[in-house]
Amino acid sequence: MTFRQFAYNNVARNKRLYAAYFLSSMFTVMVFFTFAIFAYHPLLAGGQINHNVQGGMSTAKWMIYVFSFFFVLYSMSSFLKTRKREFGLLMMQGMSPGQLRQMVFLENIIIGFAATLGGIVLGLVFAKAILLAGEHILVIEGSLDFYFPTRAILVTCLAFFILFVLISLFISSVLRSGKLIDLIKGSQQARSEPKASLVLSLLVLVLIGTGYTLSLLARGSDAFILLVPVSIIVSIGSYLLFTQLSVYIIRTLKSKESFFWNRTNMLLLSDLSYRMKDNARTFFLVCIVSTVSFCAIGSLYGLQTVVTRNVALSNPYVISFVSQSSDTDRSNTMATINQILNKHDLQAARTEQVLTEYNMENDKYTQLIISVSMYNQLAALSKRPLIQLATGETVAINPYSLELDRLKLPSATANGIAVKPDRLIQSGVLTVDEVTFVVPDDIYDRLGQPAGQRQLYVWAGDQEQTGILAAGKEIYSELKPSTKSHRITVPAYDVNQELGSYGAILFIGLFIGIVFFVSAGSFLYFRLYSDLDEDKQKFHSIAKLGLTIPELNRVLNRQIILLFFAPIVVALLHGAVALTTLANMFQVSLFKESLTVLGIFFLIQLIYFLIVRFFYIKQVRSAIR
Amino acid sequence: MLNVNQISKIYEGKIAYKALSDIHFTIEDGEFVGIMGPSGSGKTTLLNLIATIDEPTSGQILINGQNINQMKKNELARFRRRELGFIFQDFNLLHTLTVQENIVLPLTLDGSKVSEMKQKAAAIAEKLGITSIMDKRTYEISGGQAQRTAIARAMIHSPKMLLADEPTGNLDSKSARDVMEMLENINREQQTTMMLVTHDPVAASYCSRVIFIRDGQLYSEIHRGDNRQAFFQKIIDTLSLLGGHSNDISSIRL
Repeated sequence: MTFRQFAYNNVARNKRLYAAYFLSSMFTVMVFFTFAIFAYHPLLAGGQINHNVQGGMSTAKWMIYVFSFFFVLYSMSSFLKTRKREFGLLMMQGMSPGQLRQMVFLENIIIGFAATLGGIVLGLVFAKAILLAGEHILVIEGSLDFYFPTRAILVTCLAFFILFVLISLFISSVLRSGKLIDLIKGSQQARSEPKASLVLSLLVLVLIGTGYTLSLLARGSDAFILLVPVSIIVSIGSYLLFTQLSVYIIRTLKSKESFFWNRTNMLLLSDLSYRMKDNARTFFLVCIVSTVSFCAIGSLYGLQTVVTRNVALSNPYVISFVSQSSDTDRSNTMATINQILNKHDLQAARTEQVLTEYNMENDKYTQLIISVSMYNQLAALSKRPLIQLATGETVAINPYSLELDRLKLPSATANGIAVKPDRLIQSGVLTVDEVTFVVPDDIYDRLGQPAGQRQLYVWAGDQEQTGILAAGKEIYSELKPSTKSHRITVPAYDVNQELGSYGAILFIGLFIGIVFFVSAGSFLYFRLYSDLDEDKQKFHSIAKLGLTIPELNRVLNRQIILLFFAPIVVALLHGAVALTTLANMFQVSLFKESLTVLGIFFLIQLIYFLIVRFFYIKQVRSAIR
Repeated sequence: MLNVNQISKIYEGKIAYKALSDIHFTIEDGEFVGIMGPSGSGKTTLLNLIATIDEPTSGQILINGQNINQMKKNELARFRRRELGFIFQDFNLLHTLTVQENIVLPLTLDGSKVSEMKQKAAAIAEKLGITSIMDKRTYEISGGQAQRTAIARAMIHSPKMLLADEPTGNLDSKSARDVMEMLENINREQQTTMMLVTHDPVAASYCSRVIFIRDGQLYSEIHRGDNRQAFFQKIIDTLSLLGGHSNDISSIRL
């Protein structure tokens, strides 16, 4: 047995110990690789999709790489920590620090090589499925065919070869052999119980309270200014929450003997308080990483909903065509539109309406003013709420919801008659971009001669009927969508385009969010499994005193619940506040979207918890028998 | 061979605890010395200091005239794998390796030739009667076999000094006797200096000299004459003087 054989055997015969580290490394490689498959896809790289998407993909890919670096580093160091005793033993047999470093380096190269290979193979297997999903989300015309991603493979191999070599070098130089006795005693050494101060524990409430209040009270663009300070305050607050407040609460509970000495509470709490020092850092890390992923995914999803909702809301028709009085080509345009509609066999009822403009404030500017019956005719056609006006009341119609209450309602005179909107309504029925006043019919009749008028043609019908996208594309290519004298809109096609570009961002965001979230789960897994041996030993000796299986399950169950859900619940709270702030900023309700995103994350965490709990309890129980 | 010179060990902490104070003794070449004492007397601490696992707070330890406390890390590593051998109560075999691989580990680390390693391993296995289990993994063998494997590992590089911490602590009486007889044989045939920390008067009775320590200080020492049975009785007597009754001291440390 040469030294190299020894290092190889050490890995090959001890697969279970290395499995967690190997799997998380492989997972990282797989994520990077699948992303690279996308980024280098001929369809995307060929410039068929816009530059933003391509740039975003490329940036995201390297962000994942940087994150992978830290993730592998973390996995690695927690993996090495569990092997202290083995290292001590080897040094007792006369292994020099240089040889120890060499061994760790060799092991890492073996694992790194296998992980890279495994990640690429797994990535290839899933590539087709992921390409399909990507095609759907990205709304790409044509299909993202499977291709043999030579370039992605090369880039992944090279990137991760460098990564593993760097980390191996880095780790083995950090691997201070320390005192041999500390290594050999390893986890047997008594850890001191962490202390907590009441002041710092109370500071948690102050910090998080302040952060939450500030962000919940923020209106409009205030949120942007507050983003950095609030993030810092809440981060510090969360750190103290896990390092101080949690310890303080546990200590308080422990000092209550009526509670602490009650059945299995003693087992659970005494362990918790000693592990809290190690746990706190993991909890903080997991909490922040999950919060970032919630916020990223939540805000992207929310934003996408807002945008598509706006486009759809602002124009309820199949096609709308606004023609200025200066438009000389009107009849030709109409003919073309009708022809294309017929060609694609679209069902749509055409209506027309005149939109009138009046000089305001002695010719200072012009303003669209229509009568309430004109409005209601269009609203009825597009199945939007009708407007009921009280006598003398005026309503302003704004097509966009975003700045609804920021718009000042001007008081003005049109042709000498005072027109002052009493309220604002968001509606896209009129298809124009400007604010339009709707006045009662009798006032409208008194307004007199309009300064100008536009002809509005709308085709009302089902926006989701087949052929509408093709028709939209044809209309936009045959006719200019927007000129000085006319404007043609096919909302369904616009929404589709918007979805395409937001889809790309959403896709990247989702990807990164999921990577973050899954790695947060892995952090927890590592934390739990580094305590496995200790737990086995502990329950082995307690079982001799008489611990029933249900009691064991209960203790372990609570322990794992705390580990898995303490950081996630805090992260969910942070995420909920952040998404509420976002909703306030855009003045839309994102309640449903936030609930969906946070709910899905919670569900994934729950499944993850159930799986890990099953195996952990099984392992500990096997030690008892 | 071994010269322990006025060593003290203080464990720092909230309450500093003096585990050893002014221990002073020497062990000659080829001697087989047992260290005994009640729980908490500092036996294992002493062994750890000599084994270069831990460092004394004051004093020096010379092995073969070399001050082990002044060695650099790499020197120490080389020293451990060439001059020292260890046997532990819980064997401390690497479960990723087979019995044979465990045995040759010190030579592997030293970069010896494979053929040489094979030959040495076969020879020592023959002597210890573990030839038949050479290709088994550590979880497939019994405690006695595991301890014999550990002895083989400790002996394969023909160390000048063999250190053992409760080598019989986890073994049944038959295996314990086998192990002690093996150690005695090795000591006699190869003139290897041995130092053994134990609770077990039977194990200690195989030594040529037993040093007793109590509360971190040397208490007394007794020499073995020709009769092992009489020596055993002397050990029991000293132990009962040391603290309470002879049956206070169990043969298995818990």
